[in-house]
Amino acid sequence: MATLYLIFIIFLGGAILTYYAGKLGSVLQDIIFLATILGATSLFYAGVHINDFMSFNPGGITLTWGINYFGWLFSLIVLGLGSLAAVYSVGYMKGKKRRGYFYFNFILSIMAMLGILVSQDLISFFIFWEIMTWSSYLMVIYNGKDDQKLGLKYFIFSAIGAYAMLMAIVMVHSVTNTFLIGNMIEAYPQMSLSWQIWIPILFLTAFGVKAAMMPLHVWAPGAYSSSPMAYTSVFSGALSKMGIYGMVIILVTMISHLPQGIWFRETLAWLGGLTAALGTLWAIKQDDAKKLLAYSSIAQLGYIITGVAIGTELGLLAGLFLAVMHALFKGTLFMVVGAIEKQTGTTNFTEVTGLIRKMPWTFFSALLAIIALAGIPPLGGFVGKWMLYEALITSNHYLLVILIFFASTAAFLYCYKFLFGFFMGQEEKEWEHVKEAPATMVVPMVLMALFMAVLGSWPGIILNPINNGLVDLGFVSTYKHLWDTSILFNSWGNQVVLKPLLYSVVAIFVFFAIVLIWKGFKGTRYVSTKDISSSGEVPGENENLTFSLGFAQPFLRAVGPVMKRQIDRYYTEFADGLESFFEFLRRIYTGNGQTYAIYVFVFVVIVLLFKDVLF
Amino acid sequence: MVGTPVLFIAIPLLAAFLIPLLGMIWKELVRIVPGLVLIYLLILAVNLLDHVMVHGPIIEIIAGWAPPIGINLVFSAFSGFLVTIMIFLGLLIWLYSYRFKKNVGYEPAKKYFLLLMMLITGSVGIVLTGDIFNMFVFIEITGISAYGLTAFYTGRDSAEASFKYLMLGSIASTFLLLAIMIIYSQLGTLNMADIANRIHTMNPTYKIISLIFFITALGIEAEIFPLNGWAPDAYSEAPGPVGAAFAGIVVKASVYAIIRYIFTIFDVDGAFNFLIIIGMLTLIIAEMAAIRQEKLKRMLAYSSIGQMGLVLVAFGFGTEEGVYAALFLMLNHAIIKSLLFFSGSYLVYNSKDKLIAEMNGLGKKLPITSFLFALGAFAIIGLPPFAGFWSKLSVLTAAADKNMIFIMSLILFVSLIELVYYLRVVNRLYNSKEKASSIEVKKPTANALITMLVLGGLILLIGFYPDVVTGVLHKASAALMDKSQYIHNVLSINQ
Amino acid sequence: MDNALFDLLDYAVYGTAILVMLIGIYGALAKKSLLKIVIGLSVSDSGLNMLIVAIGYLKGGTAPIFSPGYLDGTNKLMVDPVPQALVLTAIVIGFGVTAVALALVIRLYRHHGTLNIDEIKNLKW
Repeated sequence: MATLYLIFIIFLGGAILTYYAGKLGSVLQDIIFLATILGATSLFYAGVHINDFMSFNPGGITLTWGINYFGWLFSLIVLGLGSLAAVYSVGYMKGKKRRGYFYFNFILSIMAMLGILVSQDLISFFIFWEIMTWSSYLMVIYNGKDDQKLGLKYFIFSAIGAYAMLMAIVMVHSVTNTFLIGNMIEAYPQMSLSWQIWIPILFLTAFGVKAAMMPLHVWAPGAYSSSPMAYTSVFSGALSKMGIYGMVIILVTMISHLPQGIWFRETLAWLGGLTAALGTLWAIKQDDAKKLLAYSSIAQLGYIITGVAIGTELGLLAGLFLAVMHALFKGTLFMVVGAIEKQTGTTNFTEVTGLIRKMPWTFFSALLAIIALAGIPPLGGFVGKWMLYEALITSNHYLLVILIFFASTAAFLYCYKFLFGFFMGQEEKEWEHVKEAPATMVVPMVLMALFMAVLGSWPGIILNPINNGLVDLGFVSTYKHLWDTSILFNSWGNQVVLKPLLYSVVAIFVFFAIVLIWKGFKGTRYVSTKDISSSGEVPGENENLTFSLGFAQPFLRAVGPVMKRQIDRYYTEFADGLESFFEFLRRIYTGNGQTYAIYVFVFVVIVLLFKDVLF
Repeated sequence: MVGTPVLFIAIPLLAAFLIPLLGMIWKELVRIVPGLVLIYLLILAVNLLDHVMVHGPIIEIIAGWAPPIGINLVFSAFSGFLVTIMIFLGLLIWLYSYRFKKNVGYEPAKKYFLLLMMLITGSVGIVLTGDIFNMFVFIEITGISAYGLTAFYTGRDSAEASFKYLMLGSIASTFLLLAIMIIYSQLGTLNMADIANRIHTMNPTYKIISLIFFITALGIEAEIFPLNGWAPDAYSEAPGPVGAAFAGIVVKASVYAIIRYIFTIFDVDGAFNFLIIIGMLTLIIAEMAAIRQEKLKRMLAYSSIGQMGLVLVAFGFGTEEGVYAALFLMLNHAIIKSLLFFSGSYLVYNSKDKLIAEMNGLGKKLPITSFLFALGAFAIIGLPPFAGFWSKLSVLTAAADKNMIFIMSLILFVSLIELVYYLRVVNRLYNSKEKASSIEVKKPTANALITMLVLGGLILLIGFYPDVVTGVLHKASAALMDKSQYIHNVLSINQ
Repeated sequence: MDNALFDLLDYAVYGTAILVMLIGIYGALAKKSLLKIVIGLSVSDSGLNMLIVAIGYLKGGTAPIFSPGYLDGTNKLMVDPVPQALVLTAIVIGFGVTAVALALVIRLYRHHGTLNIDEIKNLKW
């Protein structure tokens, strides 16, 4: 079982080597970087056996490492997306500054996430959790343009979560005297009721922060949009899933033993639903693609939380399948934005239009990812959404279904905005010389897009590992009869595939699409944005006529009241209030030596007066 | 064996008085001799600590009078551990300040090293001695040299800081003497073990009054709120390495004294809860004041006060786990806070008005120093995998085992504040938006750089492999908890 | 003179010592001049020293030296020597502290041009 050690040594050594290799040459740096990530990944899948654990004792604390099926499922997200994003990063970082810094933190993040998955004890879990936090924090402040707020906000929220988790960890330790997760789960039913309630709350706070759950999500838009896009695809795609990972463990192994657990589930499910709805609304409003995707990430994580929280088998399958899908499509979309940013230098919809002919492969991946995101058949997103609806309806959450349905319908607006804003529409002169992104960037995107398409027809590829993981957590195996859980699936051989009826619908769509494109091609004339006139007026030179300007305004006006109250503002006001209190408080130190001397005597007198109480 | 505990006091004291004389022979000797002395003492300390771990404490009688009449020195696992930290830190401070700034001439250097040696003598004496009046003398030695070091730079407001320190320090010595006299008039002895043996015969009112006086007097030195008015000023005005010496040596000695009184000498159970109360007060108020500071060194000073509060809280749990946590905190604080003071004083040196707001983009100009500062900041916040994490974990574990959930959540809340103000500085260092003022960059000298790198390496070493220290810490905390063994060891010693 | 007066004198020693201490503390806490503060601290030190010597004093005892009366083994009492030794040490230390304090006062006066402690508040908060 030394392979795990070796993997972490490769990660650590690779991170340090990469950092310093920049002095020798950038190509060498790229090679070491890729070798580290890809080498560790292949070593992990080749050499690490599932359910094979090892222990060691640093500082008198027993730590256990090893991976179970559930962790293995998430390792697919972490290492799969991680490797592709690593390849992408090489293209993305070409010619940029502080490459060593970027690569170092990239490797550490991947290492920390893998570490979280292999940790079978709370201490190494926490250590890796914190490494993940600070390495991603360092990425958020990578640009160095942060106005002291985004990075700090991210770190403070992460720290609130981490400290909540630390508190839960030591509380558990005081009962069980070990830090092993297995012992915690065993001891949980015997704890006093107040601890049974507090410990999950503390853990869920920690995981909720990373999963960007309302009301702990305020860090996410800034952090996602200000870190480099090559990293954000991992940040949003994989790192946030660590919150989901923890949540599932807590919900399944602890909450289900608790009679009051239903409240936890309902609260979480509703929080998830609200996150989805509000995240979507905010996403529609954004004019910057990074921000749009960031809010969309929050919204998508809301679906996942809802699915996971309702806790039926189908709900968990839906949530986890969506988690994998989200990693794929959001990873792809952030890469798309990164490619556009790299080629054009901006990510604003109101500036960039009509890139479809300039960057066809990027467009192709973006198209598939958007289809998956919107949940349109036949891509994988549809499967996840369908399962989620079915899970909600079969568990009688009708109001929640309406909320989620509203959110995913409204999501079409921003999906459309994203796709149309960047790629469709007239070509601007300014972007005449834009070229397709380099191959290292395009290949990962296209690969992920294709995988999404495959998952749409054969969701079993992922559903089976999910199922194995759930069995690890104590669920009944649904292997080979998955089609009992949802009306969506059919069985052809051992593979889980979608019902043929759906395919007929899809075939009709595809047929019409082909006909329309065929017809459309003939009469196409390419014009620039300004090549129009209405009522005889010709647009001026500086008039912005891009499609995305003022997009969906009537809709936004309608939902305006909901969006007016930003939680962010309350946090800021609270923090400001605290700081002014501190400012007042520090005036205790008046600067006059005599006052300090008087404090001493006052202290003595007070203690003498209350000595019977104090001692 | 290379020597006996008395050398810890005799040699540096001798060196302190020889420094001006040696300087007449060769000026460089003034800088070299303290280092040689400290290296020897470090070897001695490590050897003795090694011996003590296996064979039990070494008790040395001074001037041929056996306890309880004469003065004795006790080098147990607990006091030995602290002495080793102090000497080690003293050595690093020496190395760092060997040529701290290129323009420090012979005359200031002579005074500086003289006072530094006195400071180390006094602090080590406080920890080693087994006699309460002897401890008073050492506290005064430490105090006077500390006043001198605080006022080292003539150009600044350092005299003001020093005067405040002196004022509170002499009030402290008044209280200390009063408390000693109360004990002496009641029990007729000054030997710690003898007092501890007979303390239960003492009138409870007198006992508690003397305890309060002791806590007040030592609390002034140990920066307990509200007795710590001097501390932020002294830290911020003293030279950077002296700040590290205060945080790592002087305050540790004073905390040791408080702990020795409460754990060994007195048998007042309420004192533990009192420690928790004043520790929490100190921690909370200091951190709250720290977040609003505009000057880096002052911020570090408040943070240091807060850490000491946390140490007292951990001691106040009164369990062996608590003591272990407190000792771990003290060790980490000594290492990390020194690193912060060392690197911080170069950051300050490179900014005109010493303001945090001026430090934008210093990360580019002083890459290693800034990196080490960031490392120290991450470590002191308690982020894994750095050293600070293990001590924070052990404090929280100790709190949880005593079921003090409220205390625990307060500690974590305060950690959050700590995190905010440290990250604000780190953010600034790596913020490239604003151009830092274009004054000439003063790079750290080679010896300063080595010192900082050693400390940074230690932070990583303890962080990744805490076993290097946990064994010693467990022994040391066991030695403190075993009160009857201490009394027996000291009183049974004969000529 | 009767015994009562002697007893009163006994207490008077303690009382005087404590009074001197209090005067010193008052000076240190209430006076605004740095010099007066230093004097106050020094006065309170002296009061404390008096108190300590008084504690060690034994009515009718001899000086704690190898006096003939002690060596003869007759029933003569000896004043406790320890407090006196302590006071000697404390006086020396007090002297040192006062010297440092005065040196600092000189520097403060040069730097600020005043001896009023309320005006020397550059370091605060």
